[in-house]
Amino acid sequence: MSIKRLSAAALAGVVAAALVAFAPTASAASDRTVKIAGWGAKSGPLRSFGVNSEAVLKAAVQAINDAGGVKLGDGTMADMELDYHDSACNADQAISVARKVESQSEALIGIGPTCSGAAAAMYGIFQKTVDDDSDTGLQFPILTDTAIRPGLAKKSQWTFRNVPNEITMYDELFKWLREQYPDVSTIYGGTETDQAHSKLTFAIVIVPMAKKHGFEWVGGGIEGVTGAVREGYENVLEVSKSSNWLLADTNFSVQARAFKKSGADMMIVSSHPFTTCGMLKEMKRQRINPKVLVGLTSSSSAETLKGCADAAEGIYIPTGFAPITEAAAMVAAAAEANGGSADLHSAAAWENAHIIKQVVEATGVMAKPETLAEDRRKMRDGLEALVNVDGLLGEIGRVQDEGESIKPYVFVQARSGDWEVVHDPR
Amino acid sequence: MSYYLGLLQLIGVHTLLGLSAYVLMLTGQLSLGQAGFFAIGAYSAGILTVIFELPILPALLAGALIAAFFAFLVGFPALRVKGLMLVVATIAFSEFVRLFFFNLSWRVPRGDIHVGPDSTNGFREIRYFVANGWSAWEITTFVWIFVILVMAALWWMDRSRAGAVLRAVGEDELAAQSAGINLTAVKVTAMTAGGFIAGIGGALYAHTATYVDHLTFTVLLATFAISYPILGGLSSVFGTLVAVIFIQGVLVEGLRFLGDWRNIVFGLLIIAAMNLKPSGLFDARTTLLLRRSVGLGGRE
Repeated sequence: MSIKRLSAAALAGVVAAALVAFAPTASAASDRTVKIAGWGAKSGPLRSFGVNSEAVLKAAVQAINDAGGVKLGDGTMADMELDYHDSACNADQAISVARKVESQSEALIGIGPTCSGAAAAMYGIFQKTVDDDSDTGLQFPILTDTAIRPGLAKKSQWTFRNVPNEITMYDELFKWLREQYPDVSTIYGGTETDQAHSKLTFAIVIVPMAKKHGFEWVGGGIEGVTGAVREGYENVLEVSKSSNWLLADTNFSVQARAFKKSGADMMIVSSHPFTTCGMLKEMKRQRINPKVLVGLTSSSSAETLKGCADAAEGIYIPTGFAPITEAAAMVAAAAEANGGSADLHSAAAWENAHIIKQVVEATGVMAKPETLAEDRRKMRDGLEALVNVDGLLGEIGRVQDEGESIKPYVFVQARSGDWEVVHDPR
Repeated sequence: MSYYLGLLQLIGVHTLLGLSAYVLMLTGQLSLGQAGFFAIGAYSAGILTVIFELPILPALLAGALIAAFFAFLVGFPALRVKGLMLVVATIAFSEFVRLFFFNLSWRVPRGDIHVGPDSTNGFREIRYFVANGWSAWEITTFVWIFVILVMAALWWMDRSRAGAVLRAVGEDELAAQSAGINLTAVKVTAMTAGGFIAGIGGALYAHTATYVDHLTFTVLLATFAISYPILGGLSSVFGTLVAVIFIQGVLVEGLRFLGDWRNIVFGLLIIAAMNLKPSGLFDARTTLLLRRSVGLGGRE
């Protein structure tokens, strides 16, 4: 067969398969199941985040079904059913999946996406205020597990998040470090400036919180940084003050040299696992040994230890997940069995599946095709009404008017290729 | 239904992006600057509807004109370089624009929130359509009115002397110049027209997505812009539309079910399509066959 014929055959086959994939899924299953949809980055540089979330969600759904399923409004017990989509770390794709799930499936709620930028874009297509007939945005509840950038959920009354509160976490971390290292006085650090979460958490939260607890930026501090959240954050990002790099960078020699030159007692690397490892490896190569090393919440994951356990040795990170309770340990094992790992982002997917079960049972969802719109509204109202829910590390509080959560957290340190809990403020 | 309509909106916007590169490619210029013009249109129109609270139509036209103005400015220095050097120069322009918006922070109070571009946080709240009660059907129709207008204009141009002039420059600059064609005027006009079309596309994109940030306008978007006319072929404006449907509709959306394999299959299918139709999916032969099949005649 000629190459042309092979190409034609391959092309025709895949186009046919793609067209089949476009067919609506709603009619495929109309029996009484509680359908949920998840989406996140299963391709691209942040692929591991989506893989982990899917693995944990699958485990959670399996656990719920093994325990008898979900009780519907008329007392029927129904299984939970998960459909997970790849939306990469891309706004267009997150929006497209949200529209597809809302209009082509019987999912009661969506869980995702991975990236804060994609979430910020996606939340914009939802109806801003419930019952506002002049707003034609989507009316479909979302309970995000991963996108962590502060303040996103209040964009729409249909969007909710179960993500850690970094302001509280870093406030407490630096307070604790102050007690543990009374001789440490100066700090220096850098961030991944093309990733809003890394950059903003560094400038708005981490550096001010360090200042608040008495740590001074090397060379006489940074103008405008008073220890209050956001204050002076633009000055923190000045290249004359801190170091910066990008998510796709592979060479960190210049930045590491700046770290070395600073001679700071405490060093901060605010970036995702891939660049955190690049930076830490370069710091190790240049023999930079700060007294204290602090990282970004998103790097308290298995990826960091897989990528650079030696270089990461000793780094402190606050996290919303560690296998320190029976439930958390069980989730960690279940995630691994499903080909992923549980961390502060993906573990939230487990909690989300159980929150959904709780809301379905509390609001009398019927899970029938004819009650779909009504059921989605019940889910939204139920999420808004939640005050407290059980999380893997303890009780999770809800900030109802902002759709956000207040999660328990611990401080972990990389020790001999593992994350060890060094402080548990619960 | 909102999913299919959303997909149609995306296809429409990307068709405009592809057509902006198509005009340039008729003159033999390969530009990766279309992402920059698209970004200018997106941010400008967004700022006009969100900060200045203008209606969508004047905002969109202003965004397109601003993008066209910058394309006009880029057109002159671009005359001095061609081929790969032009590609490099236009990438530099695109990156300049992207980094400008990456650093742009212009926030104004609007009720209990602040709106406007917010540097790395992106530009949220570009909600003109949904906030004014436009249905998905209305938004889709609005987008496609512009797509059809642009396609019709280019289709008509292709059959006029202007189209012949553009193609003459694209085929052989020296011969065209010998025939009295002003290369500067033709190339700068094509660049400006491309900027205008990309600006319309960007403005529509910002309002259908409701959010833009610098990561929307990377080199990947610029690569998509030139891929559409290359894959679709330069013999007709419809080639670009076919390529956008193939890439955005079939490969990006249709193959989502393949999960991790999607990107690999994506690349392989592009190679297969180019091997099967080296002059584009909608090449001269296909155009001729289609014309004959609808009774419009046509010669080999």
